[in-house]
Amino acid sequence: MRWFGFGFNAFQQIQTQNNPEYSGLDAEERLSSPTELKGHVNRDGRCFEFSQIRASWSRRASLHSDGFVNDSCRGVIKQSRGCRDVFISESHLTLAFLDRVECWDLQSSDETPSWTMGIDTQSKSSAVNLPLVPGGYIASKPPFFHSLSPHMQAKSLALGGEHVILLTATGAVYTWGQGSHGQLGHGGLLPEEEPRTVEALWGMKMSSVSAGGWHSVCISDAGDLYVWGWNESGQLGLPSQRLRKTSEKKTDQQEGELSQNSSTHQEEVFISIQAFPALFDVTPLCEVKTVSCGSRHTAAVTTSGDLYTWGWGEYGQLGHQSFSSSDEPQRVEFFRAQQLHVVGVVCGPWNTFAAVANEEGLAPEYPTKPLNKHGE
Amino acid sequence: MSSLGSKILSTLPADEEQFPLQFSDKVDPSVVEVLRRCRKQLYGNATCASQGLNAQIILDISWERLNTGTWRHVDKEWRRVYSYGCLFKVAALCRENPSQQEILEAVRTCDMGLLMGAAIMDDILQVLVRILQNEISETSKDEEKSVEVVAKKLKTEGPRSPSIREEKAVPRIKCPSLESFSTNYLLPLKPVILEGIIDHWPALNNHPWSIEYLRSVAGFRTVPVEVGSRYTDENWSQTLLTVNEFIDRYILNEISQDGGKSRGYLAQHQLFDQIPELKEDIRIPDYCCLGEGDEDDITINAWFGPAGTVSPLHQDPQQNFLAQVVGSKYIRLFSPEDTDKLYPHQSQLLHNTSQVEVENPNAELFPEFSKAPYLECVLEPGDVLFIPVKHWHYVRSLQVSFSVSFWWS
Repeated sequence: MRWFGFGFNAFQQIQTQNNPEYSGLDAEERLSSPTELKGHVNRDGRCFEFSQIRASWSRRASLHSDGFVNDSCRGVIKQSRGCRDVFISESHLTLAFLDRVECWDLQSSDETPSWTMGIDTQSKSSAVNLPLVPGGYIASKPPFFHSLSPHMQAKSLALGGEHVILLTATGAVYTWGQGSHGQLGHGGLLPEEEPRTVEALWGMKMSSVSAGGWHSVCISDAGDLYVWGWNESGQLGLPSQRLRKTSEKKTDQQEGELSQNSSTHQEEVFISIQAFPALFDVTPLCEVKTVSCGSRHTAAVTTSGDLYTWGWGEYGQLGHQSFSSSDEPQRVEFFRAQQLHVVGVVCGPWNTFAAVANEEGLAPEYPTKPLNKHGE
Repeated sequence: MSSLGSKILSTLPADEEQFPLQFSDKVDPSVVEVLRRCRKQLYGNATCASQGLNAQIILDISWERLNTGTWRHVDKEWRRVYSYGCLFKVAALCRENPSQQEILEAVRTCDMGLLMGAAIMDDILQVLVRILQNEISETSKDEEKSVEVVAKKLKTEGPRSPSIREEKAVPRIKCPSLESFSTNYLLPLKPVILEGIIDHWPALNNHPWSIEYLRSVAGFRTVPVEVGSRYTDENWSQTLLTVNEFIDRYILNEISQDGGKSRGYLAQHQLFDQIPELKEDIRIPDYCCLGEGDEDDITINAWFGPAGTVSPLHQDPQQNFLAQVVGSKYIRLFSPEDTDKLYPHQSQLLHNTSQVEVENPNAELFPEFSKAPYLECVLEPGDVLFIPVKHWHYVRSLQVSFSVSFWWS
């Protein structure tokens, strides 16, 4: 699998500068076009691919197929040998091994982790899917471990800016934490201390969940996407007033006169907060396979192998070769132009990482009819 | 570097080493790293664009933190980081021959820092905004010479004043002594209108607050404006506008308004901390010294809006002097003893606000309301209303109005 990254790069978490004099002052701090990540080469000169990527604001942690983790700020972490899953926040790196989970303080030079928990490998529920661990989940800063009721049968979990979304084995969705921007999906703006099922999704089996700074998304078994929370930068893909205002302002400045069609905008209904899950069509042509949320943007991979992005784009995190935001999903044309089949996506807060299949062919853009040859 | 750029640089420490960047561990080291890059660029020869991008990174990351959790719980360190972002952005904008647009953007950036950030480096943003304003007035002076400025007074026609029944009228008293005010009103917590105690304010004398005056002192400054007829309405919202935009859109243009739906109100804003020039036009009433608090603890708010702005019936946790500078306001007052007849909202957020529309009460929903005794008045320029702590008050402007409130304890 090949990986590409775009968006915030002020810490060279996507593309490293070869210049050793690099001071962070002149390099490309934001990349608006997908850039291939370099795999890691071990001492024997063998190159290992990434099997997992996670990103915090300034860092990227990559798990390689040889079981080592690379932190974009510090290089290969030798204590990560045998690692099976990785998670990173601004302050801590979490490593999951077959028999234990470790949290490392990224500011400390200690040779030992700042927190460890053992995993009973005999137990039925020893599966780790960070930040989910047996019996609970790992927060991004101490206290790390938070327990979850075993009745929930958690299958996966995502940490938002200040909320949590959980998917159960039966396909139900729970949320809790801050709700001030509708990110919990219960219809209100109040916080929830305990996991609460998202009733609006009741009866529909969900297959994956993701959480951004102030928004949440999930995909149903049928490949439908649901979105809710804050739409400040268009991260829900719904009409965002702030984006229209900004683009109007830009047009005004370019033309040097007042925008004449501003009256038409008034008739549009803008969504600032969507407090209930809303069914959302990324593209009418196919279903959604994978989705991931950045702080204020969203990226989805379709069954046709295309990547769509929307929301905040000022650091290039939408990959559209611009630094504009968009409140409508747009396909990242780079991959289609390069005939690359996107199979996965992981967002950092201000950037996006897409996994691309090595050899698989690209599905046709539209359902095609047999071509009529000349003379037939 | 432009002369404005040099002026700005001259207000900053002489070199990188003397420029402070100290933060608690609440601020991630990665963010401090970007702040250091900004500082390095400030004293180096980076391009505007690159300097501006790093400043924007600081503004964006701290903006995200300021919007995480409730405002009260945001760590002050992040508000300081935001102010640094504003400082670096202003420096970037003004570095190379800034256009008028860029200077205005720099003023707006300072205001955003003054509104959302915390003071850094001896309130450097106040210093910068003064320099920028001087720059603007120097350029606009030349332009204005040809245009004759008509010193228009604030238009103050409006609906006729409601007639006040004598038995319900708030008593009026002229310049009482501290002692008599204390004995007769403060200690028994009785509302009263004090006359003649602000006649010496420059705002009512040599700097009368006209539209032209407010434009000249604060026209390009960005202020928070409430839009909607009252804060309990569903489609009420807050927005940021320059004082000029606010005046054009909501003060001069009031006729075209659709039943108050888009009424704008510069309300409950600490304008005088943001714009010290305006503070020089007002004085803290001497009677505030009867309180136990320090003078610095007095909260001074500006209330500037067209006719018809309504503050629903509510109570505040401090004593209040409401000083009327321009236009008039109808005010009704209820004692906290009658709270049970006023139907406060149940929700935590609005529990200090009554559900009753005071001038059009729903007698079926709120039957007790008509039994609550009240006092009323029309506050005219020069009047100061003493609203005792926790006294319920309802306020509707009858004309274009500018009031100043002093909350004290």
